[in-house]
Amino acid sequence: MCDTCGCGADSTTFRKHGEDHHHHGDGHHHTHDHHTHDHSNDRTIAVEQDILGENNLLAQRNRGYFEAKNIFAINLVSSPGSGKTTLLEKTLTALKNDIPSAVIEGDQQTMNDADRIATTGVPVLQINTGNGCHLDAEMIHTAYGELKLQDNSTLFIENVGNLVCPALFDLGEDKRIVVISVTEGDDKPLKYPTMFDAADICIINKIDLLPYVQFDVEKCKEYALRVNHHLKFFEVSATTGEGMETWYAWLKDQSQK
Amino acid sequence: MHEMSIAMNIINIACKEAEKDGASSISKIELDVGRLSGIMIDSLQFCYDAVCKGTLAENSLLEINELPAMACCKKCEHTFEIDAFMALCPECDSYEIDILQGRELKLRAVSVN
Repeated sequence: MCDTCGCGADSTTFRKHGEDHHHHGDGHHHTHDHHTHDHSNDRTIAVEQDILGENNLLAQRNRGYFEAKNIFAINLVSSPGSGKTTLLEKTLTALKNDIPSAVIEGDQQTMNDADRIATTGVPVLQINTGNGCHLDAEMIHTAYGELKLQDNSTLFIENVGNLVCPALFDLGEDKRIVVISVTEGDDKPLKYPTMFDAADICIINKIDLLPYVQFDVEKCKEYALRVNHHLKFFEVSATTGEGMETWYAWLKDQSQK
Repeated sequence: MHEMSIAMNIINIACKEAEKDGASSISKIELDVGRLSGIMIDSLQFCYDAVCKGTLAENSLLEINELPAMACCKKCEHTFEIDAFMALCPECDSYEIDILQGRELKLRAVSVN
């Protein structure tokens, strides 16, 4: 249970860096009623609705908002520990004079990532999903309302570290970027194809560690392309800066469109 | 465990439809689930049983119609059934395929009384 307001720890909270208090998402409401079943008079209602329709509709609303304000929104997804936050820290530090940016951080618990991003001076909001394994379009809607995004800016959304669940949830982003680090297996695109299928860009991070690990970059790219032949790749080391210029150039180009 | 969110969405949609119809309970919910939808059916069933408690759908049956996935080869335009995102065209051995169907995740019908 949370000490501030007594909420269940599994609910989603939204917090800006430096704020002590947080607030909750509306959650999903159901009608609760108890009934006994009698199947003799059953009738069938044709529904034909997309189960993720509500999320997709909200994602489209987010997309419309981003388009109207000319905001370039990217959704960063990966397993935990691939270096998404370091990649963001370095990117924001390098580009803060070129591209006005804001960040939405998604994690189950803690303000740690938002605190790290805040040191770059870029506005950041932390979403803690509690037990939730992914961000959804409604959370993003609430988060950008709090952040008050600038026109002609770039919004970086760092999803919960999870290579499975976030694949199914459109947030309204322009580009979905899957990050894989060379300390993971090069066959990850084959093991988690749904995520690679749903991505536009693949960043291979921590390439400075290639001499020390059994990771074949070309094989990884080949596997990823077998799953999704539209993927575009960046090979970088956020720590040493290797390959980062190409990534920055792409970001600048995309944000100016 | 995104299956929990999916199960909650299913119950939400089904209960709204049942309420609109003036039904007193839901006996069955039918889904169309594509082979590449990213859903684990066992996990969805488990979550469904947990989520439907205390709703109009309590004790209802979840019927899942699994839809096959189809792809079209970009090189030779051959259309064939696949069971994974990575699939080799049986005609020309190319991995460059466009997925035509298999990502579906749809609530088809609700039986009520």
